[in-house]
Amino acid sequence: MALTDVKPTRSELINLKKKIKLSERGYNILKMKRDGLILEFFKVLEDAKEIRGEMLEKYDRAFEMVALANTVEGAIGVKAAAMAVKESPTLDLKKKNIMGVVVPDIESQAVRKTLAERGYGVLGTTSVIDETATAFEELVDAIINAAQMETTMKRLLDEIESTKRRVNALEFKVIPELKEAGDFIKMRLDEMERDELVRLKKIKAKNA
Amino acid sequence: MTSISVAGSAIGPAPYIYVTTRMRVRKSKLLPREEYLRMLNMSLPEITRIIEESQYKAEIDELSQSFSGIDLVEVALSWNLAKEYQKILAITPGRLRIFLQTYLRSWDIQNVLTILRGKSQGMRVGKIKEILIPAGSLDRITLDRLLGEESPERVVEALKGKRLYPVVEKEFPAAHESGSYAHMENELYKAYYADLIETAQAGVKGGRAFLEYIQLEIDIRNLQVAFRLRQGPIPEDAREMFIEGGEVKPDELVRLAVAEASDELIETLQQRVGAETLGGLIDQIRGDAPIHAIENALTHLRLDKMTRISKRHVFSIVTILDYLERKRFEVINLRALARGKESNLPTERIQSYLVI
Repeated sequence: MALTDVKPTRSELINLKKKIKLSERGYNILKMKRDGLILEFFKVLEDAKEIRGEMLEKYDRAFEMVALANTVEGAIGVKAAAMAVKESPTLDLKKKNIMGVVVPDIESQAVRKTLAERGYGVLGTTSVIDETATAFEELVDAIINAAQMETTMKRLLDEIESTKRRVNALEFKVIPELKEAGDFIKMRLDEMERDELVRLKKIKAKNA
Repeated sequence: MTSISVAGSAIGPAPYIYVTTRMRVRKSKLLPREEYLRMLNMSLPEITRIIEESQYKAEIDELSQSFSGIDLVEVALSWNLAKEYQKILAITPGRLRIFLQTYLRSWDIQNVLTILRGKSQGMRVGKIKEILIPAGSLDRITLDRLLGEESPERVVEALKGKRLYPVVEKEFPAAHESGSYAHMENELYKAYYADLIETAQAGVKGGRAFLEYIQLEIDIRNLQVAFRLRQGPIPEDAREMFIEGGEVKPDELVRLAVAEASDELIETLQQRVGAETLGGLIDQIRGDAPIHAIENALTHLRLDKMTRISKRHVFSIVTILDYLERKRFEVINLRALARGKESNLPTERIQSYLVI
């Protein structure tokens, strides 16, 4: 706010005081929100680290199992068993709120299947196919969990970033400028009061 | 050719002597255990070179235009197996041929299911064709004709007149609607074993030995399924997953599969195959061995029993089946060696999956 735009009136000073009060209250709330979000972020970060670790473990296991399945059943057998699966997993995307931040809440269906639901017969396959299917189902579950966690983290980080920008703007720009404008008005009003006083004294001296 | 015409006679023991002698010669050419142990210490290029320089050379050369690397090795091995089975069918005369055709029908089941599943999922014909192994009574031309059909319904229609048709026709509507061919697959295998038993009981020479082996195969397969079902929640239709015709009845197998401890299942296995033949397997099962180790041990057991039966009935169908199975496992072992080396699996791990 350029000082030249400020009208040095009492009502403007009252308005500015109101704005300063509101900004300070907003600043305190946003600071609290930022701190809360950071705390929440670190909590999610711990879970996300764990989930990512699990996901990587499951990825290694799944690829080890598919290598084993290729070894035992051959790529031909694995492809034939994979063709048996028709039902694809579905995802139900819901939303949940963490301190005003909307994050995804993913519910998955038909990821983990029973032997009967997998579509291949037990008489034409071996247990390596079961173990490989289980390993990949666990991997898909872990990927969905990791996706949910990492999207939550990303959204929290975005929100922390924008809250931090707002806090900084209030702390280093808006409130100081408002205070400066208030000081300017106060100074101008005092000056005008002193002018008025001198003028009155001069008139009184002339009349006397 | 003279010998084939002699063997073509269905009268007397001549066909059995002729075919079993040829099978014994072929069996002697299979890779010995020591060769696998030597190959376990080789690198993938060395294993591939050995395969290329052996009886699989013709298929490797034939397929090298369409495939490369490890896929070439695997497809060539499968093609060789299919060709070998077809050659054996060609030299087998009379009733023996019917026995063999019935036995090799398991490959037809596998191929027909692959085509139906591929067609249901809208896969490209070329992709489905790569997965077919024409080692059964449905030869490559028939399979190509089935692949050429537009829809799964047309594939089922095209099977009319084939032995699989009644089961496929009955099971197809439900399977197509639900998208799962698992029940159809189990029913096809059950019908396959019922056919084998019927063929064995038809009063033909060698039928008793054949029946003895088939019942053993059914029991071992059922026990493998029972051990497998114990790994997770038992499905409601578990009984449907067992094959009729063995000595251990499906109801009993379901009871053993759901039982908390595996002791009864082990006891049944001991009773069925004889405690002395099980050796270290019992300790393996009791010691929480992985399911694949149990399956592998049971497969070993089945092959050993088969060899024993074939030695007791030298000029019988079992001698031929013994070679067919040994040949199948040679292909499986070579594929496992190549794939295992490609995936950098430890040698001990690859060895645990070999049937040698």
